[in-house]
Amino acid sequence: MKRPRPPSLFGLLKPYRGWIVLLIVMTVGASALGLAVPRILASAIDTFTGQTGDLETLILALAAITVVAFIIGNLQVLVQTVASERVARDLRTRLAGAISQQTYATVDALTPASLLTNLTSDVDAIKTFVSQAVASLISSVFLIFGAAALLLWLNWRLALAVLLVLPLIGGTFYVVLGRVRKLFGQIQGMVDALNKVLNENIVGAALVRLLDAQQHEYRKFLVVSEKSRAISMQILRQFAAMIPIITFLTNIAILTILTLGGHFVITHQMSLGEFTAFNSYLTILIFPIIIIGFMSTAIGQAQASYFRISRVLNAPPPAARGEQAGALTGAIEVRDVTLTHGTAKTLDHVSFTIGAASRTAIIGPTAAGKTQLVYLMTGLLAPTSGEILYDGRPITDYARSSLHAQIGFVFQDSALFNLTLRENIAFNATVDEARLALAIETAELTDFIAALPQGLDTVVSERGASLSGGQKQRVMLARALAIAPHILFLDDFTARVDNATEAKILANVKANYPGLTLISITQKIAPVEDYDQIILLMEGEVLAAGTHAELVRTCPEYVQILQSQQSTDHYEAA
Amino acid sequence: MDYKLSTAAPAGKGRTLLSAARTLAPLLREERSNIAIAVVCVIISSAASLLGPALIARVIDTAIARGDYGLLLRYAGLLAVVYVIALGSSYTQTIRMGTAGRNLLFRLRNQLFTRLSNLPIAFFAQNRAGDLISRVNSDTDKINQFFAQALMQFFGNGFLILGAGILLLTLNWRLGIAALIPALAILGITRAISPWVKRTNRKGLESLGALSGDISESLSNFKVIVAFNRVDYFREKFDLANQRNYRASIAAGISSGVFMPLYTLAGAAASILVLAYGVKLIGGGALTIGVLIGYLLYVTAFYNPLRQLAAVWSSLQMAMAALDRVHEVLGLETDLVAVPDAPAGAPGALLAFDGVSFNYPGGKNVLENVSLILERGKTYALVGPTGGGKTTTAMLMARLYDPGSGAVYLDGRDIRAFTPAERAVKIGFILQEPFLFSGTVRDNIAYGQADMAALTDEELTKRLKASGLADFLDRFSEGLATPVNAGQDTLSLGQKQLVAFLRAVLRQPEILILDEATANIDTVTEQLLEEVLDRLPKATTKVIIAHRLNTIRNADSIFFVGGGALTEAGSMQHAMDMLLSAKRTS
Repeated sequence: MKRPRPPSLFGLLKPYRGWIVLLIVMTVGASALGLAVPRILASAIDTFTGQTGDLETLILALAAITVVAFIIGNLQVLVQTVASERVARDLRTRLAGAISQQTYATVDALTPASLLTNLTSDVDAIKTFVSQAVASLISSVFLIFGAAALLLWLNWRLALAVLLVLPLIGGTFYVVLGRVRKLFGQIQGMVDALNKVLNENIVGAALVRLLDAQQHEYRKFLVVSEKSRAISMQILRQFAAMIPIITFLTNIAILTILTLGGHFVITHQMSLGEFTAFNSYLTILIFPIIIIGFMSTAIGQAQASYFRISRVLNAPPPAARGEQAGALTGAIEVRDVTLTHGTAKTLDHVSFTIGAASRTAIIGPTAAGKTQLVYLMTGLLAPTSGEILYDGRPITDYARSSLHAQIGFVFQDSALFNLTLRENIAFNATVDEARLALAIETAELTDFIAALPQGLDTVVSERGASLSGGQKQRVMLARALAIAPHILFLDDFTARVDNATEAKILANVKANYPGLTLISITQKIAPVEDYDQIILLMEGEVLAAGTHAELVRTCPEYVQILQSQQSTDHYEAA
Repeated sequence: MDYKLSTAAPAGKGRTLLSAARTLAPLLREERSNIAIAVVCVIISSAASLLGPALIARVIDTAIARGDYGLLLRYAGLLAVVYVIALGSSYTQTIRMGTAGRNLLFRLRNQLFTRLSNLPIAFFAQNRAGDLISRVNSDTDKINQFFAQALMQFFGNGFLILGAGILLLTLNWRLGIAALIPALAILGITRAISPWVKRTNRKGLESLGALSGDISESLSNFKVIVAFNRVDYFREKFDLANQRNYRASIAAGISSGVFMPLYTLAGAAASILVLAYGVKLIGGGALTIGVLIGYLLYVTAFYNPLRQLAAVWSSLQMAMAALDRVHEVLGLETDLVAVPDAPAGAPGALLAFDGVSFNYPGGKNVLENVSLILERGKTYALVGPTGGGKTTTAMLMARLYDPGSGAVYLDGRDIRAFTPAERAVKIGFILQEPFLFSGTVRDNIAYGQADMAALTDEELTKRLKASGLADFLDRFSEGLATPVNAGQDTLSLGQKQLVAFLRAVLRQPEILILDEATANIDTVTEQLLEEVLDRLPKATTKVIIAHRLNTIRNADSIFFVGGGALTEAGSMQHAMDMLLSAKRTS
């Protein structure tokens, strides 16, 4: 199967035309001045021996050129650094832009590990290409054509003999670069894999230590590390041969000139002067070829990386959303929703309605699809079939920002940022002090925060490692409440909070956020007995929906759950 | 214990070339033969590249000038041999040095990973995942690049510089000194600015680490970003880090770039000096024009390879900056070392705390002078307000942390006297936040147990059945083979807790700690799990942190954890009273 042609790196550079031209001018200027120095030196000696001119002036000219070359050399460094860093920065910005437009599901599927590589290592490869390869590549190509024309003009027969090696060299490049392109792609894939193993080893650090599984983890890492080395060795073997072969081919060209040109001189078809000139121009031809050879690693790497980045940049944008805004009442309808993962059905034709300003509980065994259902209802995931309607309109009609501004979501797993408590709770930008204070009070966090030496400015460590389970849950609740939501989703919020606190918090929510539509996934029936509706989800299907009294009457599975809880009340529940 | 890695460039000069060599020497020891062969090859290639032009000049002067085509062909043959030797030696050099660099990268990465594995969890609470990943993946590669591409230039060019330098001084010492003055100046300037170059490179790497940290955090919390309308947060935070990285990288790029123009300047300055001085000497009759012309060629032969070294030198500064960051991790030692001869204590108890105090870095004491004794075969419940120290107590029992003062005894010995492997056998701990590794449910159940991993699916199922655990596999769409992807939400939290439960119980530890282990599992399943716990061997000690009343009611003893103390409650009611009063006062 043939892979699609990778997108052109030079296409990426189009917006930087000005910089690139400047860079080429600087590069050419610096090397031209570098070449001028020996010439002037030679003419200075001629002047001295011939007693024909002013030696001092020449030495001064030499000094002047040296200084100019120094300045241009520094400017070249400046331009090359700024240009390459700009390309890198802008590419990162574009990537971040593309990622941020994507849905949660797409980002999850692209995998954070791979996106991290895209934003760091892949962008770096392109940066190296710009800073080290672009200018010399372009000027080398010009030099090759120029030198070739010069040679043809000097002596076309000899030139043709020499230029015969050019297709050979081009062929070598083509073959090697073709081979390594795939390898470079693979090695970046290994970086993804290393990222992943490392990240799991860091996030799962406690478990690894408890089970004394360091060796096991190390073996996992070693497999990837070893694979990465093996691919890298394959790349090395390709390139290690390439540069010597290209040098060798150019040497063959020199040898050709020596024998053939020597023959011409001996047979008086060419003068010795012409021959010497031809020889020195040949150096001008060879030099850029070798340069391109040295740049080929950077080229191959950048190509592979840009190919990977393009996949993210060109990922199809999420389906268009409507522009519907305005206040939601909280009336929600889930209409015949199915969600499949591969062949497994997570949710199977789920339908129910939720009234505005009502309270609904979703209960069901582990792996019934409760969390997935709530992800669908909040628009984090899209159903495979079926519809979610808010106030009678499909969720896709609403502008995402309008929807998320009114829907609060307390996640089941701790998802906190390495920011201060204030920044974590007022995570949404629209939160003001009054809302923040109300949210903190509602989540019963006032005392906890007051007891901290730095209060709200205490920094939460990554993954919330510095907070207890219950504290994390309550911080996440405060974060959801701080946006003053019309609709609040709680995913197993009460699992780590004791009953007394839970009851207090729920009473607070009722008092402080009147008119709120509440949808709560929970394991415990007692606190939700008086809810307007309880939905029992089992194996992806709605088994029953109704009030507590109705379910007790009609649903044996519900009764079974209820019975399992008769003796499992929480602290102070009785 | 402070495990925070520095994220700001250290003051002063930092690592010297010598100490860098000392750090890398053990890593390179196994590459000795590769490096030695590469050095020989680089000398051969250098010689061949000098010989080629000399031969051509000779051909022109002799064969072509005399019209002797036969001689020309003989020289051409010789030249061809030289070219083939150059081909072989430069190929060998690249392969050998490339191999050495890649092996070094491989070893350095593995070493880093091993070091990370040996550090206690406190380390991970203090350092960001993205930055650590950047150190393992990106910084090590900078070191590899230096070795694979730059190190041999040192040898090759050093060889040429040395030869040309000796010629310069022996041919005419006065001119020689004039020619070498710029080189000496360059040496001084290089020494003076190298620390700055390294520092800016270090800042560049650090800003990349910070960027990586931000990206990694934002991407793993992407659902929060989407649900809270904060795509702009991701963008802003990213743009800020990106912009910082941009500035730091420009500074690094410019500082690394100064060497090349500077060295070029030195070369030109040397030529001018020699020319001016030489002309004066000729005027005084101390020099001939022929010698001066030849001399100028040697000046070029001296400064051209020196210019090549400029590029190598900046690459070295980058590698040294990277090495610093790598070495910071390698240099960390865990404070949770095994202390085989720690005094024994608390005979008879399975687990005991003796005057244990503990605090997290910068925080107040979570536990203060706490003592407790857990007996074999009993069930203990820990209750208390959230944040009161229940989880911390449990972590001390499993030696995820060491107490600040006091001692923890396991089975009559100081817990620090056990090896991690022994501890893993004795202690089972179901963490509050279950974590599964990518793989399958089966991989996670058998995780870290070679004997279990070797079982067939049937054998493993049989084992699960024997412990009454097999039915729980129905909760997974494909049973043991259900795929797990750690970064993604493929399994629910309840399912993860179930796997963690199976994993811990199947090992039949002597003490089983359950930290809200079933909080997200439905109550019907939970009852089944409790039955499993009841069927555990009679000698198993259980420590349960839970909110559900019955588990607490069934406990032999209830401990109230809060306010820095651990108090044994006489009864269920007593525990509840303490909980209520703690709430009122907190």
